[in-house]
Amino acid sequence: MSKLTPKLQEEQDRVTALLIEMFPGNRIDRDKNAEPVMWLNTASELLLAVKDLRIVTGLQMDRLSDLTAYDNVDGSDGPKRFVLVYQLYSMRFHTRVRLKYSVSENESVPTLTSFWRAANWLEREVFDMFGIPFTDHPDLRRIMMDERFVGHPLRKEYPLKDRQPFPDSLPVRIAARTPLSSGQE
Amino acid sequence: MSKDGNAGFIPTRLDYAVKWAQKNSLWPFTFGTSCCGIEMMSTLSGTYDLARFGAEVVRFSPRQADMLIVAGTITTKMSPVLRQVYDQMLEPKWVIAMGACSSSGGIFDTYSVLQGIDEIMPVDIYVPGCPPIPEGLIHAILKLQGVVESGGKRPEMHRLTREEANNAMSFRKDSDASLFDDSKPLKGQLK
Repeated sequence: MSKLTPKLQEEQDRVTALLIEMFPGNRIDRDKNAEPVMWLNTASELLLAVKDLRIVTGLQMDRLSDLTAYDNVDGSDGPKRFVLVYQLYSMRFHTRVRLKYSVSENESVPTLTSFWRAANWLEREVFDMFGIPFTDHPDLRRIMMDERFVGHPLRKEYPLKDRQPFPDSLPVRIAARTPLSSGQE
Repeated sequence: MSKDGNAGFIPTRLDYAVKWAQKNSLWPFTFGTSCCGIEMMSTLSGTYDLARFGAEVVRFSPRQADMLIVAGTITTKMSPVLRQVYDQMLEPKWVIAMGACSSSGGIFDTYSVLQGIDEIMPVDIYVPGCPPIPEGLIHAILKLQGVVESGGKRPEMHRLTREEANNAMSFRKDSDASLFDDSKPLKGQLK
């Protein structure tokens, strides 16, 4: 891993200090790139934190670079089953902040599409791969796997090589109306 | 050919002439889905110059192509599309599976990747490599010219029909009828 430039290190330190001041009750770690990793406990806390991070002077985390999740099946990151990871980026200061939020199986998460429209597809991906539902999401469907796919492939209990091929890749509503073309060799 | 329409000796050599023409004008339909596609582009462009072998006219309509080059990973969601492209090509047609992924699935032995395009269509030439170097693809096309010249006779193998491909692309846990049943709620879908 390349070393951070002094300027960037300074900025990340400043952002971390500001976060600790703003959210004294939350656990804040730092990773190898000096990025702050803040753990959130409740859904309302997540929404409030995101709202603040976007507008507070000196932070201005105006971009959602990534939203993903991981299966905390061995319980190394708390008792809950999944951990959602929000990677934020500030176009103004070129700094990054990571938010982590644990959810149980079938527990729903508030959508962030009202803050970043980019969250729409990313949340659909998390829903597709892990089966985490998002409340008030405008269009919560599978995004990568076929709509007829059963199960969520990035959950640890899903068998790695369990393929579910379908004879067409049309959206279900269209496929139901279109008969299969038969042998035209 | 004489003036009264008598064919003379020419038709006896027509077969040979057609094969010669087909062999030297293999128009490719390129199906590049990943890094093999980059090597394929390199093969087609100036440095390796596939035009030397008459196979440079890349067609982006399967109706005008003779040779399907499948270069890259084919996911199970993409496989019906690929089979559709193959069915749309006019006879005579030939298929090259370029690279490990399209030949056997390669390193991607997972829930989403087709394990070789020969599950859904007949393949004439397999090109090993990850990705193969451009010389590898050129070698495959020269081999394919040999196949064309020998009268379109394919290597001894079973040629998959559309029905067999449909069976291969159908999910074994669920019958076809239930896939198109509108009344049944879909698993994994909210609402």
